[in-house]
Amino acid sequence: MAEVLADAPVVLVTGAASGIGAACVKLFAERGWRTAGLDLRASATDVSVQVDVTDATAVAAAVARVASELGRIDHVVTAAGYYEEGIDVVDITRDQWDRMMSVIVGGTVNVVQAVLPGMLARDSGGIVAISSELALAGSATDLHYVAAKGAVLGFMKSLGAEVGRTGVRVNVVAPGPTDTPLLAATSIWREPEYLAMLPLGRLVQPDEIAGAVYYLATEGSQYCGEVISPNAGAVI
Amino acid sequence: MTGQVALVTGAAQGLGLATARRLAREGYRVAVNDRIDDGRLSVLATELGGIAVPGDISDPAATSAMVAQVAAHWGPVEVLVANAAYMTMSPFLETDSAEWWRHIDVNLSGHFRLIQAVVPGMRELGHGRIVIIASGWGVIGQANATAYSASKAGLVALTKGLGRELGPQGILTNAIAPGFIDTEQLQVDADDAGISLAEMRRVYAEQTPIGQIASPDDIAGAVAFLAGPLSGGMVGQILQPTGGITRTRA
Repeated sequence: MAEVLADAPVVLVTGAASGIGAACVKLFAERGWRTAGLDLRASATDVSVQVDVTDATAVAAAVARVASELGRIDHVVTAAGYYEEGIDVVDITRDQWDRMMSVIVGGTVNVVQAVLPGMLARDSGGIVAISSELALAGSATDLHYVAAKGAVLGFMKSLGAEVGRTGVRVNVVAPGPTDTPLLAATSIWREPEYLAMLPLGRLVQPDEIAGAVYYLATEGSQYCGEVISPNAGAVI
Repeated sequence: MTGQVALVTGAAQGLGLATARRLAREGYRVAVNDRIDDGRLSVLATELGGIAVPGDISDPAATSAMVAQVAAHWGPVEVLVANAAYMTMSPFLETDSAEWWRHIDVNLSGHFRLIQAVVPGMRELGHGRIVIIASGWGVIGQANATAYSASKAGLVALTKGLGRELGPQGILTNAIAPGFIDTEQLQVDADDAGISLAEMRRVYAEQTPIGQIASPDDIAGAVAFLAGPLSGGMVGQILQPTGGITRTRA
């Protein structure tokens, strides 16, 4: 564990309590960063704020609290989300659709809108949104999830165009099927027949997603609206 | 730190040089290749505590000899950085067949054979990383650089095929498709365009959505990522640290 300095850079992670978000927190902390987590549950971070990312006002307050307590926000990772599968498109209810859009697209937009003014004022910073390989190539029986993750792609690419000439970098990491609690034990993505078809022959581990995020945060100054795909070869 | 054996082609200058230095700094044992050793290569090898393995990668005998030389010294190559490249620019109808084949021979066939030479050793070890330096132009195309772009697009497809074929054996192949980089090539481009180096940098920066071109160190960082422990989930992927050139800037 690196020594954490009082003026060490700060990463703010949504969905920080579990899965990919928690793996990001762990890796950045190991590399000497200070960490803040926004999650419905408490996260193992220097500043843990329990907040629903769909609530724009609460997100703005949470971001303000992190900035005030840690003095700065250098990098943001939007990993808050959830997954539902095995639902034919005609069976997706209006509530299921709205909630998915609200958490994944709305949550991402809320966080970006809250952190971007500070980054633009300092002319530096980075945002990485977690999308999905499913959004790159499509998928069956999880269309609301894929549509929401696809919207995140379009949003971040356009944001890249909008802030490209500033010192702020915004990009996307699109994981493949990842071994997190979001993937049910009965998920089709855990079936041995499916995994055997992947070039890596296995699920991606959360720390492998964190590795790509960390690379973008620390050496990603030339990426603008790009997508990096630690996906075990699910989409090549 | 890692002690792994890396071979970097085209290491006498530009991003090959930056990559060799970066990998050495991270603890890799680095073998450096370029077409000939005009002194720079052996000086670099000494600086890095590595070895120089000069040879033209478009020559089949030379590629197997350089891999054998590395293996005799340290054992199998564990990280191959396929970076050496040939580039000239000319309008399509003025690009003669010899120029076309020179691009294909060096950029595509040369690395095809070099990869064939390193894979058996990686298989024996049960792991390996192949990092191919493609080009942003191999993804989006470029006027007056059709032969070069096509050879680099070939490397993109080679990366994807190798990712699928070698991934199950623990050998991860990925590529980097950079945009404009501040290397010695810029002076060549400036001379071609009849402008100063500073003007050339400005022109390229203006064409790049983020308003700046990459340094060789930026691309070396991408290589270090694809060679190292943080990229274990990546296979058959094309990193594009191009400043956003995929979309022509408004």
